[in-house]
Amino acid sequence: MAISKLKQIVRLRLIWIMIIFLFVLVLLKLVQLQFFQFDELTTKAKESWDRELPYASLRGNILDRNGEVIVGNKLAPTLFYMPSQNENPEQVAEEIGSLIGMEKSELLEQINKRAYLVKIAPKGKNISSELAMEIQDKNIKGLYAGVDYLRDYPYGNMLSRLIGFTGYDAQGLAGIEYQYDSILKGKSSAVRMFTDAKGVPLPHVDDGWKNGVKGNHVQLTVDLDIQQVVERELSQAMQKYEATQAIAIVMNPKNGEILALASAPNFNPSDYQEVDSTVYNRNLPVWMTFEPGSTFKIITLSAALEENVVDLQNDHFHDKGYTMVEGSRLRCWKRSGHGNQTFLEVVENSCNPGFIELGNRVGAEKLQEYIRNFGFGKSTGSGMAGESSGILFSKENFGPVEHATTSFGQGISVTPIQQVQAVAAAVNGGYLYKPFIVKNTIDGETNEILSSSEPEMKRQVISEETSAIVRDALEHVVAEGSGRNAYRDQLRIGGKTGTAQKVQNGRYMDGEYIVSFIGFAPADNPELIVYVAIDNPKHSTQFGGVIAAPIVGQILEDSLKTKGSGTQIEKEYRWGDVEQVRTPNLVGTKRKEITSYMYPFNIVWHGDGDEIISQLPKENGLIPLDGTIHVYTNK
Amino acid sequence: MFLSIIGIFFVHSAGSYWSEVHYKGQMPFALKQAAYLIVGIVGAFIIQKASFIRSDGFWRGLYIVAILMLIGVLIPGIGVVRNGSQSWISLGFMNFQPAELAKIAVLGVLANSLANVKNSRMKMYIQSGLLLLLPIGFIMVQPDFGSAFVLVVAVFFLLFAAGLPFKFFLWIGMSGIIAFVLLIVSAPYRLVRIQAFLDPWNDPLGSGFQAIQSLLAIGPAGLFGFGYGNSRQKFLYLPEPQNDFIFSILLEESGFIGGFIIVLAFLTFFSTSFSMAARAKTRERQLMIIGFTSLLAVQTFLNMGVVTGLLPVTGVTLPFISYGGSSLVMTWGIIGIILNLAQETEKEGRR
Repeated sequence: MAISKLKQIVRLRLIWIMIIFLFVLVLLKLVQLQFFQFDELTTKAKESWDRELPYASLRGNILDRNGEVIVGNKLAPTLFYMPSQNENPEQVAEEIGSLIGMEKSELLEQINKRAYLVKIAPKGKNISSELAMEIQDKNIKGLYAGVDYLRDYPYGNMLSRLIGFTGYDAQGLAGIEYQYDSILKGKSSAVRMFTDAKGVPLPHVDDGWKNGVKGNHVQLTVDLDIQQVVERELSQAMQKYEATQAIAIVMNPKNGEILALASAPNFNPSDYQEVDSTVYNRNLPVWMTFEPGSTFKIITLSAALEENVVDLQNDHFHDKGYTMVEGSRLRCWKRSGHGNQTFLEVVENSCNPGFIELGNRVGAEKLQEYIRNFGFGKSTGSGMAGESSGILFSKENFGPVEHATTSFGQGISVTPIQQVQAVAAAVNGGYLYKPFIVKNTIDGETNEILSSSEPEMKRQVISEETSAIVRDALEHVVAEGSGRNAYRDQLRIGGKTGTAQKVQNGRYMDGEYIVSFIGFAPADNPELIVYVAIDNPKHSTQFGGVIAAPIVGQILEDSLKTKGSGTQIEKEYRWGDVEQVRTPNLVGTKRKEITSYMYPFNIVWHGDGDEIISQLPKENGLIPLDGTIHVYTNK
Repeated sequence: MFLSIIGIFFVHSAGSYWSEVHYKGQMPFALKQAAYLIVGIVGAFIIQKASFIRSDGFWRGLYIVAILMLIGVLIPGIGVVRNGSQSWISLGFMNFQPAELAKIAVLGVLANSLANVKNSRMKMYIQSGLLLLLPIGFIMVQPDFGSAFVLVVAVFFLLFAAGLPFKFFLWIGMSGIIAFVLLIVSAPYRLVRIQAFLDPWNDPLGSGFQAIQSLLAIGPAGLFGFGYGNSRQKFLYLPEPQNDFIFSILLEESGFIGGFIIVLAFLTFFSTSFSMAARAKTRERQLMIIGFTSLLAVQTFLNMGVVTGLLPVTGVTLPFISYGGSSLVMTWGIIGIILNLAQETEKEGRR
């Protein structure tokens, strides 16, 4: 094709100009990038150049009400490897493999990746501090022991079913650890190493420490001193009675703070894999529902007193051993019947027909209203995971039989925490408090309190006066009635037994009972309310008064700091009890005088003096009739 | 001419330097590159002296050889698959990319046919079309869109130089846009690439990764860069730092100054070549020089455009600098050819 010489040159020029234009574009773009976007891109690049060696964050602690650590952390470093920093992965695998118990080939495969940071797992995760020191001493290029933590449980199994456990990367998987995970978990820290692309720390950029945020602490209302008493008592009971399960709750009835919460059997949170999920996923005091049995009679009693339909001292009831309701015979637990009793004795004896009568006097509608007001049939809102609401008869199905059985605690199903909530209201002046377990959340860095749970009074269920009568009646149960085994001298305890046949698939199970006792002290001004239930105890009469009452008595005795005031009701003597007497005051008496008093006890003398300056037991102590008093003289 | 050689040597010395830096621990890369460089320069000198370059027959032969190799590379056993493209022929000691040869052959043959004044315009259209489309088709099958694109653009430059009317380019441009739209519609992944180009930060770890990493290398370098050997992006962040993205490493280490010098050197080289083309004795030599220079210029611009984020990511090497045997040898081969044609003009001019 022929074109003119001039045109040829013009075309060539055009091409030349076009190409220059294109490269000027490139230069302009460079100006834009390297001058105008310099800051922006530098920031972004810095983020990208970071080589962060993760330092695990410190998960928050779980504390008791006094700040004692229930769950903490212990140092357990994790090995990290930067493949780009070491040219000889075979040698690394050789040196480290045996130390952490990993096959060389397997380790080599892990560290021979084209990644900037490899976490050696699972064998290199959470190794002991000693091993980490040993490995660090070897000074292997590219191998780092990153700070990492494992959950530490100074009290072992204690409270495990409440607090739950954490998983592989310290994430909460059950219980408080799970529910409060967002509070407990911290943000990971990291050592920032500015590296060039080969991962070699750059000489002209300082390493930085990127601060993580420590997790916040969760402070429970639990009092470890009381918790320890409770756990001890429960484990003894589990062993003694070979029980299937056991439950205990200790609560402050005046504000709903849960001071101890125990389920048996429990587990070691470090080895949670070894127990069944039905153990670690079920916090029994809030999860389990069962027929309450006689402890529920407190509600019927409270309702009857509040409605003013009974005078405990002066109204009488004749128990012939059963009551006929719509043609069905509802038996008293005592086949022969309790005969003629005052209603106070009905309460003391936990007489079923007597309570059916009380329930009747209250009326079906009213009784149901009271039961619901006392918080049954609805979760307490304690904030613990997996809480059940229990099952009540619906209003439509509440016939005379249902009315009668409900009056003495059968045919319905409730949780232990509901019972504690209700009975606390019955004895604290009538105020229904919401039980709660988390007292505070505390800042992990500054230890400042971030949030606090305030006691929440849901409603007043009965009047102060009624509550006082209920307390008195329940103190009589312990002193003179079915709860006598909870009796502690010099400690005014009130309470009520409960024995309920277990239900499976809508049928009562033969010979399997849940025995329980709910007690409180001091009876005139309750500071603690203790509930204990033992599931399917063996080797004993399966009565709450026999098995659960003494445990509650013991817990109250060991936990209560104040003893209460007023006069305690003297424990009623029954045949078979060891006869006991009060010790006289011997302090100040002379050796000669003592002999003339003709006491029935053995007196053991300590010291050679003439005048007694001290004695054990002290005055007014309770000792068997032929017991021993130790006296200490002035010399 | 002298300037061009200085520029080329400067550029190249920088190139081999860089490749050495990227692989401090892996000398073979730098050594290989140096070896190819020697092969390339020696080849260039031989080609410069060879008179057969000027014959029509040589170019036709080369064209046929290139087409055969393009077919051969598609046959399993001969062709080697790398990075998802079957673009290489293994020669044992080196891998050879037939597309590189094809670029030269196509431009040579076209320049010759365009220079033939006896041809009618219609015949020329058909001839050019066929000569171009045949190898392009094979290259697309590999697939190697980068090479295909470079070749097509270079051919348009050549056609423009050959004096085709502006109307023709308008028409081609329009149909190009239509074809472009059709291509995007037919394959959604292309749309993703375009999106990534328009807003790479949208998906920094996915489609936008390469573009972003390149920008992260260039931006913070500022005026003077981080200094020789201090690139941070080269090891893990940028893919193929010794190859397609070498320019971003260069910019990272030497800053705007370095980039400016390199661009200037390339421009000097292209200008020198074009001025040689202007002084070329015969029409076919002129067109050939224009064609080859355009080829290198387009390829250079494409690479720099990708690296600086002007263009969407395409795998094209930077002439002289990028690591890669066949690319380097062919670049020097082109230098040889240009010098051959240019020297001829000078000699004849003196005479």
